[in-house]
Amino acid sequence: MAETISRRSFRTVLGAVLPVRYWKRSWKSLGLFFALIGPGIITSNVDNDAGGITTYSLAGAEFGLSLLWTLIPITLLLVIIQEMCARMGVVSGKGLSDLIRERFGAKVTFYLMMLLFLANLGNTLSEFAGVAASMEIFGVSKYFSVPLSALFVWWLVVKGSYKSVEKAFLVACLFYLSYIISGFIGQPDWGKVGAAVITPTFRMDPGFITMTVGIVGTTIAPWMQFYLQSSVVDKGLKAEDYKYTRLDVILGSFTVNIVAFFIIMLCAVTLYQNGIKIESARDAALALEPLAGKYCSLFFAFGLLNASLFAASILPLSTAYTICEAFGWESSIDRKFTEAPQFYGMYFLMIFLGAGIILLPDVPLISIMYYSQVINGVLLPFVLVFMLVLVNDRRIMGNYTNGKILNIISWLTVLILVFLSLAMVVTSFV
Amino acid sequence: MVVNSEPQVFLFLSKILGGKVIDSEGRPVGKILDLVARVAEPYPVVTYLLLKTGREKKQSLLAWQEVTETGERFVASRQTLEDYHEPVLQEGELLLKDAFLDKQIVDTNGAKVRRVNDLQFLKARNSLHVVHVDVGFRGLMRRVGLEKLMDVISRGFFDYVPPDQFIPWKFVQPLASPDLLRLNISQSRLAMLRPADLADIIEDLDIHRRTVIFKALDVETAAETLEETDPKVQVSLIEEMEVEKASDIIEEMSLSEAADLLGDLPKDKADDILMEMEKEIAEDVKELLSHPEEEAGGLMTTSFLSFTPSVTAGEALDVIRKEAEDMDFVYYLYVVDDRERLMGMMSLRELLVALPETPLSELMDTRVVSVSLDEHKDTIAEHFAKYGIMALPVVDRSNRMKGVIMFKNLLEIVAPELGK
Repeated sequence: MAETISRRSFRTVLGAVLPVRYWKRSWKSLGLFFALIGPGIITSNVDNDAGGITTYSLAGAEFGLSLLWTLIPITLLLVIIQEMCARMGVVSGKGLSDLIRERFGAKVTFYLMMLLFLANLGNTLSEFAGVAASMEIFGVSKYFSVPLSALFVWWLVVKGSYKSVEKAFLVACLFYLSYIISGFIGQPDWGKVGAAVITPTFRMDPGFITMTVGIVGTTIAPWMQFYLQSSVVDKGLKAEDYKYTRLDVILGSFTVNIVAFFIIMLCAVTLYQNGIKIESARDAALALEPLAGKYCSLFFAFGLLNASLFAASILPLSTAYTICEAFGWESSIDRKFTEAPQFYGMYFLMIFLGAGIILLPDVPLISIMYYSQVINGVLLPFVLVFMLVLVNDRRIMGNYTNGKILNIISWLTVLILVFLSLAMVVTSFV
Repeated sequence: MVVNSEPQVFLFLSKILGGKVIDSEGRPVGKILDLVARVAEPYPVVTYLLLKTGREKKQSLLAWQEVTETGERFVASRQTLEDYHEPVLQEGELLLKDAFLDKQIVDTNGAKVRRVNDLQFLKARNSLHVVHVDVGFRGLMRRVGLEKLMDVISRGFFDYVPPDQFIPWKFVQPLASPDLLRLNISQSRLAMLRPADLADIIEDLDIHRRTVIFKALDVETAAETLEETDPKVQVSLIEEMEVEKASDIIEEMSLSEAADLLGDLPKDKADDILMEMEKEIAEDVKELLSHPEEEAGGLMTTSFLSFTPSVTAGEALDVIRKEAEDMDFVYYLYVVDDRERLMGMMSLRELLVALPETPLSELMDTRVVSVSLDEHKDTIAEHFAKYGIMALPVVDRSNRMKGVIMFKNLLEIVAPELGK
């Protein structure tokens, strides 16, 4: 037999070579936390969207430092709710709308999704309004900025992959620093601010109560639960990695409230102290200029732009994703248009309506946003109760159901939130 | 011969559920909660009704044979109710609503994961068979109770009636019931799918069902399916497996795919698997792992055919016949000298038409295009486009042959979005 050189004999000498790719991986595993974070931080930060920033600015301008303390209980509520969602995602491997459909059937799911679509459409609208408002501070007409940002949002998702989109979102999270910077430029009296954070004050006047409910409502929205759980599932996180996910959620809940803290505080020490009345985040940015300087105002406006654009990218995406998941339609940004027509159709409709309505002359913007908040308020109790039923279902969660104490705390949390959102719905009609 | 003149009647599960059962005198017996069916070929047969009887939460079973259905009215001829307790179902029986409605199934014809909106039954000679699974919008609207409204709107505005979207039962692979999944896959309907389609389906499922299905595949199908799967999913599937089974599967994969997968795994798991693998394959994989993924060394496979120039065409063919099964790439033969330096190449076709006694040195083409181990993927892609070849040899600094880059592997790096 002629000598043939077997492919095996080549290798024996090289067996001892240190595999380069291994080395790269173990370097990566050092930063395992950074590989696994994302869903929690992104979800929380999107929460500080145009509507959120407006609410915080108004809270600071109208009530000074007296509402700052509410951020502490809100942070706790947020952690409790989001932790359950993340846990469900990790354990079941399914999205929230998927679980709701399988457990509660087609009819309930259908109406829930209809409401979610309307609520999220309203939210998207207010994000594009935020883009228009902030760009106007920079001297750009809304007829230019809004179509351009709609195109940007479309392009980001259709041309990007899940990975690149997540990276872009994490960068957007960093830009929230601009609020912290503008907070420091405002030169507050830190002693007084610190005291306000730890002294709960409550007033029985309707304006004060409405504003408290508003802050809670803008921080805990129905769509976030769907988005958070889906992105945890999409990231393919496993039960062993759960501790990182929990950290991610907690970190996210804190950052969102730190940003909120700086906005309320800044508006309190500048606008409230000088008795300036505002009606929107745009007013706040403009009013800051004579009080705290040009840069403070510009940072504030930039923050609003970033937040609006960020949320406008995520809301339509999350809505399309959630609804397709519930009805079993193909849904992924990694698929082509023809493979997922419902997904892209819904995504397009949300952006088109969201950006288009803003450009119409004489839109009753305030009342549109108001009613979208009301729909959010109606929706939230259902979503939360469904979540609690699901998270305690052993067939889904196995040994990862809520413990006794956690159940008491979470039912209390849900009751408080249900009460607050009902209060908001009721007061809106009175 | 008796002509069976009984008309065939189609029923929907959504229309049966919640229906009231009465006895022959019109007194209420109970409300239908679910149907029990026995999985049989070609169609599952409904055996019992699960009823809610009485005011408490009491549940009972009523045999379908004792019920006559006439236009949404269910009349029980005799009343022999059996109490229902959780594990009363027998082997091969399942609750239809519980197992299917709103759950996911695999449509093995369209190779897609779908969500079940409704089930359609055929009533023939008073027995009830599951014949279709409804996954369409019409089914969804029927469940919501808006089917008629949808028809009015779509006919009024678009002069169009949305059609039903049924999947015949023979193309349905249930996913919800773990018992059905634990069946040997070769007996289940998933065996009809090509590995690439199976990979798509696995990607669409949640992490638990992925693992159940994947574990049920035989080693060869598992390896082929894994090669077609998204890297992130590959990792999660392998991490859920015992080391021995995982190493068996990875051994069956092509070397370059195996190396990519092991490179993506956590180091501990990858080391365990490498230890368990056949030594020779493990060595080859380690060699590939020592090169970055985007360079020639990381793209190539070390499983190719090489011969010394004195070997004759006939001898070479004998070797190929014996070894081709285990090789990643067999369409080109490479000729190397005794120090493994690349001298020339020829295609399998040239070998087949050559006289058996001709030595390879006379047959080979010495104008071989090759690249070095650290060549970048873009240059490699240019070579492929320019020379129109199926594979590209990789050599080290002293022109010693190290491996072969197959077009397929290059495509995955250059255009990862294709075919996913």
